[in-house]
Amino acid sequence: MSENKIYFKFDGKTYGGNQGDTIASALLRNEVKLVGRSFKYHRPRGIYTCGIEEPNALVQLINEHNEPNVRATVKKIYDGMVVKSQNRWPSLKRDLGSINNLLSPIFSAGFYYKTFMGPKGFWKNVYEPLIRRTAGLGKPPREFKSKSIHLHHNIDILIVGGGLAGLLAAKKLAGTDQDVLLVERDNNLGGILRNSNKIKSIDGQKSADWIEKTEWLLKSANNIKILKNTTVTTYNYKDHLIAIEDKTVGAQPDNNKPELVMHKIRTKHTVLANGHIERFLSFRNNDLPGVMLAASFEKYIHRYGVVADTSPVIFTNNSSTFSLLKTMVDMNHKPKAYVDVRDSKKIEKETLELINNYNIPFYPKSEIEGCEGKNQIEKVFIRTKKDKTLKIKTSMLCISGGLNPDIHLFTQSKGLVKWDEKILTFKPEKSFQNTITLGSVSGNFHFEKLVEEVNKKLGFIEGCNNVNTNIEVLGPKEFYIKEIWETKSLKKSLWSKSFIDLQNDVTTKDLRQAIREGFDRIEHLKRFTTNSMGTDQGKISSINALGIASKLLKKSVSEVGTTTYRPPYSPVSFSAIAGRSTYEFYDPVRKTPIHPWHEKQNAVFEDVGQWKRPWYFKKNENESMRDAVQRESKKVRESAGILDGSTLGKIEIKGRDALQFINLMYTNSFTKMKPMSGRYGLMLGEDGMVKDDGIVCKINDQHFIATTTTGGAASVLSHMEEYAQTEWPHMNVFMNSITEQFSTFNLSGPKSRIIIQRVFPSVDFSNEKFPYMTFKFLDYLDTQVRILRASFTGELGYEIYVPPKHALKLWERIFYSSRDIELVPYGTETMHLLRAEKGYIIVGQDTDGTVTPIDLNLNWMIGKNKNDFIGKRSLNRSDIIKSDRKQLVGLVPIDKSYGIEEGQHVIEQENLSTPIKKPVKMLGQVTSSYFSPTLNHSVAMALIKEGNRKIGSHLFVSTSNLNTIAVEVVKPNFIDPENVRLKS
Amino acid sequence: MLLINCPYCGERDQSEFTNGGEAHVIRPKNPENVNDREWSEYVFIRANPKGIYYERWVHSHGCKKWFNAIRNTSTDEILKVYKMGESPPPIKGFKNTLKSPSGEPDVGSGNFAVKKT
Repeated sequence: MSENKIYFKFDGKTYGGNQGDTIASALLRNEVKLVGRSFKYHRPRGIYTCGIEEPNALVQLINEHNEPNVRATVKKIYDGMVVKSQNRWPSLKRDLGSINNLLSPIFSAGFYYKTFMGPKGFWKNVYEPLIRRTAGLGKPPREFKSKSIHLHHNIDILIVGGGLAGLLAAKKLAGTDQDVLLVERDNNLGGILRNSNKIKSIDGQKSADWIEKTEWLLKSANNIKILKNTTVTTYNYKDHLIAIEDKTVGAQPDNNKPELVMHKIRTKHTVLANGHIERFLSFRNNDLPGVMLAASFEKYIHRYGVVADTSPVIFTNNSSTFSLLKTMVDMNHKPKAYVDVRDSKKIEKETLELINNYNIPFYPKSEIEGCEGKNQIEKVFIRTKKDKTLKIKTSMLCISGGLNPDIHLFTQSKGLVKWDEKILTFKPEKSFQNTITLGSVSGNFHFEKLVEEVNKKLGFIEGCNNVNTNIEVLGPKEFYIKEIWETKSLKKSLWSKSFIDLQNDVTTKDLRQAIREGFDRIEHLKRFTTNSMGTDQGKISSINALGIASKLLKKSVSEVGTTTYRPPYSPVSFSAIAGRSTYEFYDPVRKTPIHPWHEKQNAVFEDVGQWKRPWYFKKNENESMRDAVQRESKKVRESAGILDGSTLGKIEIKGRDALQFINLMYTNSFTKMKPMSGRYGLMLGEDGMVKDDGIVCKINDQHFIATTTTGGAASVLSHMEEYAQTEWPHMNVFMNSITEQFSTFNLSGPKSRIIIQRVFPSVDFSNEKFPYMTFKFLDYLDTQVRILRASFTGELGYEIYVPPKHALKLWERIFYSSRDIELVPYGTETMHLLRAEKGYIIVGQDTDGTVTPIDLNLNWMIGKNKNDFIGKRSLNRSDIIKSDRKQLVGLVPIDKSYGIEEGQHVIEQENLSTPIKKPVKMLGQVTSSYFSPTLNHSVAMALIKEGNRKIGSHLFVSTSNLNTIAVEVVKPNFIDPENVRLKS
Repeated sequence: MLLINCPYCGERDQSEFTNGGEAHVIRPKNPENVNDREWSEYVFIRANPKGIYYERWVHSHGCKKWFNAIRNTSTDEILKVYKMGESPPPIKGFKNTLKSPSGEPDVGSGNFAVKKT
C-alpha cells in the first residue's frame, strides 16, 4: 500500500486515506461504520457493498458542484475533499427524524396514497413540506454548471466490462480488423481477478501479473481502445449504447477540463461481460451498519487492503463465500461463525475442509434470525438446525444470498431472460440485438469454462484465433446454492424491521401487505411499495423481492416474472446529459447586422425565436415602454419610421413549374399577377387553418421570392419541401432559404417617399412609376438592392432588401439622408400597434391553428377560380362553413378612457356576481389590444362567436378583477379603411 | 436511437431524421370531388398498428430528402427503406418477427422480458 496519505473531511472531521481509496474504503480504514440515515425511517445506515450497487452509503460532496447522492463506494477521494452525510438532522448520531421509525405504521406500503388524503389543502400546505423535509436524499447544487462533453463512436465491437471475461474477449479480438472499444467502470482492469482470490493462477501467473501483461498486449494491438472509469448506462436500439466517463476520478474537478464525458457508441456487436452482483438476504434489522455483502467485504481486502473486521460472522446460502473464508484464514483472521443455510452434506468439500482445519465455529442448516445494536451491529441471533436461538457478539456480519448476473443492460437491449432453477437467478436466454453475453452475466459462474465460452461465442468473428488461457480456480468450481429469501423473525418490536429495499426503506412486511391488498402483479407491487425504485434500482435486492412474492403467491419466480429494467443503469448527472448545450450554446442567439446600432440607440430587445429584435427604443433613461411606443407610433403616422425587419423569413422558389407550385401553396391566385409585383399571400394547412402569411413577389413565372413570419421561416420551407417531394414530385421546382442573405428594412410613414428618394436618387419613386405592391432591383455599390413598395403599418411604405455586408452602412445612410426629417427607429411593439390599428393580423397572435381565412374575413384572398390549393377542400367542410364560428372583429371601448387587456374574455353580461356562481357564457377572446396614440383610445381585435353578425352591437370584456368594460363591436380596421394613405 | 438507412446518404443516426407519419396516404387527385367524410379521412385519419407500419421519414439534418420506411412498431426494427414514388418492397423474410395475433413478437417488444416456459 502506498504511504501517500490523502486527507479529506467527513462530517467535519478529518480522516486520512490512501491513494486510490474510495470514500467508503477510506472510512472503513478509519473504522467509521455509520455513514448515513435512511430515506424514510432515518435509521442508521453503513456501507453495505463495495461498488455501484450501494443502496445505503450515499453522501453529499461539498464543492462548487455540491454533488448529492454520491456513492461512497464508487467515488474516489482526493486531497481536501469535503464529504457530508445526508438526510440527518441535527447530526448523524442523534437524528430527530428517526422518530419516523416509531411512526412506521403510517409509512407502510402505499402510504403516500393512503395517508395524506385530506382535508383539502393539507397536501400542499402541510403534508408535502413535511415529507420534503424528512424524507429524501441530498441537496442539489445551487447553480447548474456543466463542464461535460459528448463524444461519438462508430465501432465494430463494444466490450462492456474489463474483468476476466472482457479481457479474454479483448485478447481474442486483439490484432484483428475489428474496431474494438473496451469499457470498464473501475479505474483499472481485472474485475474479479483483483476483487477476490477466486482465481488461483492464470496462465501460471499471479492475477496482477496477467492483468498487466494482457493490458500491455491490448494496448499494443492497434485495434483496441480502452476506456476506464466509464459506466455503460444505456443500451438502446439499434446497438446504440451510452457510457459516462468520469474524468475527475481521484482529483478535484478542474475548471479547464471536462468533468464527465458522455460517449454515444454505435456498434455492430455488443459483448456484455459486465459480470454479476451479489444479492443480500432479509432478516430482522438487516440494515444495521456492520452488515455487509460477503463479496464486498472480500473486495475491500483485496482491492484496498482494508479489513473492515478481523472476526466477522459469515451468513451464506451458497458456495461463493468460500473465497472470503479462505482470504480470512490466509490472513490469520478467524471468522466468529460460519452460518450456512445448507445442510452440511450439501456444502462443498473445500469449504468444509477449511472450517475443519481452522476450527471455525460452524452452523450448518442454520440461519441468522436477526441482529441488534445501536448505530451499528452489536450482536447476532443464530437459529440453529435444532431451532435453538444463539446469541453471538460481533461488530460485522457478512452475508451472501446468491449471485445475480447483471442482466440490466441485457434486458434494456430487449433481450429475453429465463429463470435458472439451478443457480436461482435470471440469466440471458435470447438476444434481440447483436448482443453476446460472456462470463457470469451469461450465468456462467464456472471460471474454468470461460475460455471455451469466449472461443465459442466470438468464433464467428473473422480473423481471430482461439485464446488458450489456462485458468486455475481456488476452491469449488461449480456454484451451489439453496433457496432462501428471508429468515423468520422472532422478536417483534417497532424498531425491528426486515428490509427488502434498503434505499427506499421497504420492508418485507410492506411486500406482504401489498400482496394482501391485491397488488399481485410484480409491476404493480413495485410501484405500490416503491420497492427497487431508488437510485440503486434494487441491484442487490430486486430478485429477492421476486422470490418473496413468488412464495406468497405460490407461483414460481418464472411465473411472477421480473419488472422491466430501464435505462439508465446507474444515475446520470444532468451535467453529462447537457454537455456543452447550456446557456448560449443550448440555443444560439441570432442578431441582425444592425444590432450594434440598435444597442447604441438604447434599444430594449425582445426574443423572437432565436432572434434578438428591438422591442422599443428608449429615448432617454426615464422613458417608459408605454411612452416610447406611443412616441414611436405617433411619429410613424406623422412623419416616418424605420424597422429592422431582417429576421423576416425569405424563401426563393425557382423552376419551370414554380407558378403552378406557388398557386398550390398559397390561397391566392398568382397566375394573372404581373411580373415584378408582390401580393399578400396566405398559407393554409391541409385542414384549412391559417399556417403562415407573407408577401409573395413574382419576378417571373419561374422565379418567386416569398417572405414568411419570423418564427415560421423553417417550418414553411419544410412544408414546401414536403409537398414538392411527396405530392408533386413531377413538378420542376426548387426552393431555398435566403433569410440570412438579405437584411430587410421597413421604411414607413408619409415622408418615407422623400427619404427613399434621397437615398436612391436614380429611381423614380412617384406613385405612378412605383405603385403599391411592386418592386424594383437596383444596383447599389457592388451588389443589388431590391425595393418593394409594401407596408405593414397602413402608411406609405417601402421594404428594402440589401445583402448584410452593406446593411449597416445603408441603414446609417438612410438616417443621414433624413437628418432634417423626423425619422424614428421603431421596434416590434410599435409595429404590432400600427398593424393592429390597420387591422392586419399576426399569425400566431390573432390566429391559433383553429382559424380559417373565412373566420378572418379574408375571403378575398381565396382564389375561387383555382382548382386546388392546400387546404381548399377543407374550407368547404360542414364544420368550417358554419356561420356561428368565431370571427375576427374589432373592439372599441365605449368609455374611451378604458383600456382593454389582451387575452380577456368577451362576454354578453355586464355584471358578474361575486363570487361567480354560474358559468359565464364566453363569446370569444381578445387577441390584440393597444392604445392608439393617433385615435387617442384603445383599439382591440377579438375572435368572437358570430362576430360578423355582431358588428355594431355592444358587448363586454372581462378584466383581471370582476369589473367589465363595455365595448362596441366594429370592423377590425381603425385607421384609413379606404387605404388612401397606403396607396398615396 | 434508431439507425436509419437513408436511401440517398446511407446509415445515419435517428437524430438526423424527422418522422413524417404514415406513408402512402394519397392526396385525392380532385379534392373537390370527394365528400366530407373521404376528405376528413385523408386529412385526419392515420393507421396506428402494432407491427408492420409503412411510414415516411425526412433526412431533415442531412440531404433533406423524403423517403419511405417499413418499421415493425412493436420492436422498432426498420425492415426496408425505399424512395418516394417507389412501390413498397416485399418483406417476406421478416414475417417471423410477428408471431402472435396481436403482432407481439417473441423477442424485442419490451412488453415482457421473461421467457415463458
